[in-house]
Amino acid sequence: MEIIQVLSYGILLGGLYSLLSSGLALIFGVLDIVNVAQGAFLVSGAFLTWQIWDLTGIEPILLIPVVALLWFGLGIIIYRTLFVRVAPQGPSMTVLLSFGLALIIEGALNLIFGNKFKSVQTSYSLQSYKLGEINFPAPQVIASLAAAVVLVLLYLYLMLSWAGRALRATAQNRDGAALIGISHRKISSFAYGLGMATAGAGGVLISVSYPIYPATHYEWISKLLGIIVLGGMGSIPGAIIGSMLLGIVEAAGNTYAPQWTILFFYGVIILSLLFKPEGLLGARSRKDSV
Amino acid sequence: MSNSALTLKNVFAGYGGGMVLQGLDLEVRKGSITCIVGPNGAGKSTVFRVISGLLKASEGDVLLAGESIKSLSPAEILENGVTQVPQSRALFPEMSVKENILMGGYLIRKNPKLLKERMAMVEEMIPIVRERASQPAGHLSGGQRRMVEIARTLILDPSLILMDEPSLGLDPKSVALVSELIKRMTKDGRTVLLIEQNVRLGMYLANDGVVMEAGKVRISAPAKDIAGDPEVASMYLGKTK
Repeated sequence: MEIIQVLSYGILLGGLYSLLSSGLALIFGVLDIVNVAQGAFLVSGAFLTWQIWDLTGIEPILLIPVVALLWFGLGIIIYRTLFVRVAPQGPSMTVLLSFGLALIIEGALNLIFGNKFKSVQTSYSLQSYKLGEINFPAPQVIASLAAAVVLVLLYLYLMLSWAGRALRATAQNRDGAALIGISHRKISSFAYGLGMATAGAGGVLISVSYPIYPATHYEWISKLLGIIVLGGMGSIPGAIIGSMLLGIVEAAGNTYAPQWTILFFYGVIILSLLFKPEGLLGARSRKDSV
Repeated sequence: MSNSALTLKNVFAGYGGGMVLQGLDLEVRKGSITCIVGPNGAGKSTVFRVISGLLKASEGDVLLAGESIKSLSPAEILENGVTQVPQSRALFPEMSVKENILMGGYLIRKNPKLLKERMAMVEEMIPIVRERASQPAGHLSGGQRRMVEIARTLILDPSLILMDEPSLGLDPKSVALVSELIKRMTKDGRTVLLIEQNVRLGMYLANDGVVMEAGKVRISAPAKDIAGDPEVASMYLGKTK
């Protein structure tokens, strides 16, 4: 029974990680940018959700489209004002820029919200759902289901819309995309905006399932980078598989040896780098690797 | 009325400080197949980059059916009916053949009726598009890939098709199929400008031949004359005078 509980928790955790890491994979796939600021965008989305909930008492999950849309617009502005200037100078410079952005966001969150943990309290915060003999914490179940809905919408958008096709085309063959009239400048800012929108939606979901604190973005970005390295940089299906695997590893660690959970989590990533450095579904290696 | 599909007048273009094209003059007749040959570094691919707007000419002009396209963006040039089949890797490997062809119609995506008509036209002209519709492009053989690349450019119903070494890496059977398709395209009134390292094949396919050297056109003549030119033969075909 315990093993089923571990697997179930792992899948719940993996569901949430899948959404959080998909934006990072999308941005890398289309733009070759390792967006270190993704964790900070995620945490700032969570703080915005907390603030709106604190002022209005609104059900946080309802804020997913609002925060995602806001972050989408912000992402386009950030790309067009900052990344477009730095991107031609290579991947290392974009890593530095996004790290700088993460530090600025962390500082701003500290100034605005203070250096303490916040948590959104909903009617289901302390509830759990019982399936047979297994208890599932309600916030994790709701966050994971909402993440799955957002991911399905993202998948349908990428598969069926022209903008989604153009994004996939650019990720698969940038020169080929230019030949058929896809503007790299436009599609790049769109990809960055969409990647940030997933961070906005993810921020709402972590606000209901985790306590938030400005510096937690380091923890999030480390996990998310690990996931996309395992799945294959730039591959959204790879990010989902990596999320599920690491979600299960984390759940198993939490159950059997909580003090070693982090070691298990990153141990899997180290093994992947040693034996399959391009990741589970990755065809490309990082351009800044040596 | 001018019979010229494309004219390059005294074009200078290059990268950084160096000029690859050094006052290039080129005329391509409507409905013809024109083949450019020349040694590596002669500037053949740069000609294509200038025509398709990926590289701007610093001097001179590029005229499409008499109208200057020199200052247009690559997308605008594409909209004006100039498409390109590059040397390799033009397709989206994880997308199906059908999706690749549809993506070729990205610029006419807001007109689904037209896109559907063009899709039917391309399927009829190049049967592999229908036969392998759901197969990922990355799983196709070299010859099949080249056919799909050509099909993808046809969906925009181009007036001028630029083809960079269409025979490169293909087996003889695929070369024959691609050659047949190139000839068929001009029967529909299209103009084809191709670069070909295989001089014999290029001149066999073409009506007009152009020999480039050091960023300039050195010889421009009917293809059969160039194929029989002892100077060209000694340069490219390994024959002596």
